[in-house]
Amino acid sequence: MKFINLLKKELSELINLQMILSLVITMGIFMVLGGVMKSSINEAVEATKNVTINICDRDKTDFTNDIMEALLAVNDDPDENTKVTLKSFETTGSDYAKILEDNDITNLVIIPEGFTAAIEKNERPELISIERMTSTATMSNITAGNNSAISLISNCVASTIAADTGITSEQYDLMEVPVSIRSNTVVDDKSAEVSSEAILGKITIQNMILPIIVFVLIMLTSQMLMSAIANEKIDKTLETLLSAPVSRLAIIGSKMLAAAIIALINAAVFMVGFSVFVSGSTTEITEAAGNIVNGSISLDEALSQLGIALNAGDYILVGLQLFFTILICLSISLILGALVDDPKSVQNMLMPIMMLAIVPYMISMLADINELPAPVKILVYAIPFTHTFTAIPNLMFGHTALFFFGLIYQVVFFIVCMIFALRIFMTDKILTISLNFGQKNKYKKKKKGLLLRMRNNSEELK
Amino acid sequence: MGNVLEVKGLSKQYSKVLAADKVSFEIGEGEIFALIGPNGAGKTTTIRMISTLLTPTAGDAVIAGHSVVKEPEKVRECITYLPDEAGAYKNMTGIKYLRFMAGLFHTDLDAVNKSVEKAKQICGLGERLNDKIGSYSRGMIRKLLLARAVMTGPKLAILDEPTSGLDVLNAIEIRKMIKKLAAEEGMSFLLSSHNMLEIEFVSDRVGIIAKGHLMVTGKTDELKERYNAANLEEVFERVVLENEVH
Repeated sequence: MKFINLLKKELSELINLQMILSLVITMGIFMVLGGVMKSSINEAVEATKNVTINICDRDKTDFTNDIMEALLAVNDDPDENTKVTLKSFETTGSDYAKILEDNDITNLVIIPEGFTAAIEKNERPELISIERMTSTATMSNITAGNNSAISLISNCVASTIAADTGITSEQYDLMEVPVSIRSNTVVDDKSAEVSSEAILGKITIQNMILPIIVFVLIMLTSQMLMSAIANEKIDKTLETLLSAPVSRLAIIGSKMLAAAIIALINAAVFMVGFSVFVSGSTTEITEAAGNIVNGSISLDEALSQLGIALNAGDYILVGLQLFFTILICLSISLILGALVDDPKSVQNMLMPIMMLAIVPYMISMLADINELPAPVKILVYAIPFTHTFTAIPNLMFGHTALFFFGLIYQVVFFIVCMIFALRIFMTDKILTISLNFGQKNKYKKKKKGLLLRMRNNSEELK
Repeated sequence: MGNVLEVKGLSKQYSKVLAADKVSFEIGEGEIFALIGPNGAGKTTTIRMISTLLTPTAGDAVIAGHSVVKEPEKVRECITYLPDEAGAYKNMTGIKYLRFMAGLFHTDLDAVNKSVEKAKQICGLGERLNDKIGSYSRGMIRKLLLARAVMTGPKLAILDEPTSGLDVLNAIEIRKMIKKLAAEEGMSFLLSSHNMLEIEFVSDRVGIIAKGHLMVTGKTDELKERYNAANLEEVFERVVLENEVH
């Protein structure tokens, strides 16, 4: 009853208009970003499907006429997904900006005079490609038209040369793609007929989302609990609370639980928002990755075949580790929050936790921690949050011993931190302990100044 | 009349400072006892030890039969403590704050409601109790906190500078309220204050503390007579001077 009373108070302190607004804004930003990414990618994909080739034939030979017909013939091929619209332009001169402007186009391929003559002389002919650049954004500068035109013209030239030298079209196709690849990926003693790129493409999203959620959880939980304790000290409400007939464990427990609940709500919003953002920007990419799989095997089947698909038990273990991560975070925040006695210090005290979270987060995103040099590896593994970031890869690749070592290390770390925290909260240290670097420095400076003055005085006396 | 509080040789040592040195006194049922002394004299340290917030280095204090050293949880059920410059949760309304605090003392809903009703009458904040505490003046917060400290009917209410931040009229009202609660409900009070005139008016007995030592205790009239002083301020001055000479 008293615990519920405390928990309700802690939750009402944490849930305010500011917090709800920030959640709504976060969700909104992710959704808008996801929408923008999706429409940009769709536009780019559409642009590659509906190719508009702007071409100018300044050579005007039978060969270049054949090329133009071949470009149009692509459109008639039922096997081709791409719809080609050929637009022919008559241009002169080399003021390309003016040419694009006059014809109201953004790209153009020019077959210059002497193109056919160069082929006849067994020389490499030249094409002129013109593209207007309008921004630095990657997606807005994709112009499939020129690339398609150049690729098709190159094919025409190559097949013409091949025909001239007596090579059949079958032989030419073979030369074009001389080998086909049957990709196989091996994990431990299992293998599947799938490329490693396809697997990486599939697991990249989950590998991206979880560390971000963990990072957000760690930062939010710490910030909320430290603020909750610091505010009690700053607003002078802690003494009243501690002198009330309610156990200190209930006071600590209610603060920890409230911070964890709010952090989980925040993490859920981030997870949903980030999923919306990621699905918006990667749908087409994952579809493309799906095509890399050979034969009839699906990516999910390939993951199971390789033994790297996570089962329900694995997810429970990951959840358990996430739970201990939050508990560690809460226990460290209890200790740091007790040391704080002004609002500025809360931000300063967040730094150690942020560093403990950001180091393994960055390393796990960029490198395999197990491949690091031994001293660095030991140092990184000493950070309790590292084991949360490596939990999924460890379970996927069968490093169960390493996973359980991480889990046990986290449990021990939590117990040690909690013992420290309880020693502070169950005794009068909670009211007497504080870290005030500024004041200490001031005191030291004062003392140093006083000593200097005393020394000067004694020297003057001599 | 039995003693509600018995303080026996209570001491507190902070690394190099002896903040309270063998402080001993007692408070009877329905009695108002005041600790007076200059800043840093050891008033708040003594009060905090009695409130179970600080652990004594030596000695003990027994409240309603419970030791602050051995049974701090039991002690907390018998006392309420109002710290000097205490605040309240700014995002809560006054009424929610009272309800929250009453909920820490009682598990029974009727008892909670009864305490809150009592606090509403004592604080006199009326409709403002429905406003957030963040919008209250310092005086309003103090009245709310005082009402909170007495609403649960503790055996001993410990009030550190009870009228600080209150104007003259409100301060008089609070003093009357303390006297009434002691007389009618038998509630005992341990006060601390710089305001000697206030202490002279409100308290039955006083203890003068300086440099961690409780130098003298007694009824205000007795002390005035003993030190041939016109008021408590003069008593205080003479006691402090006398102890410095010795």
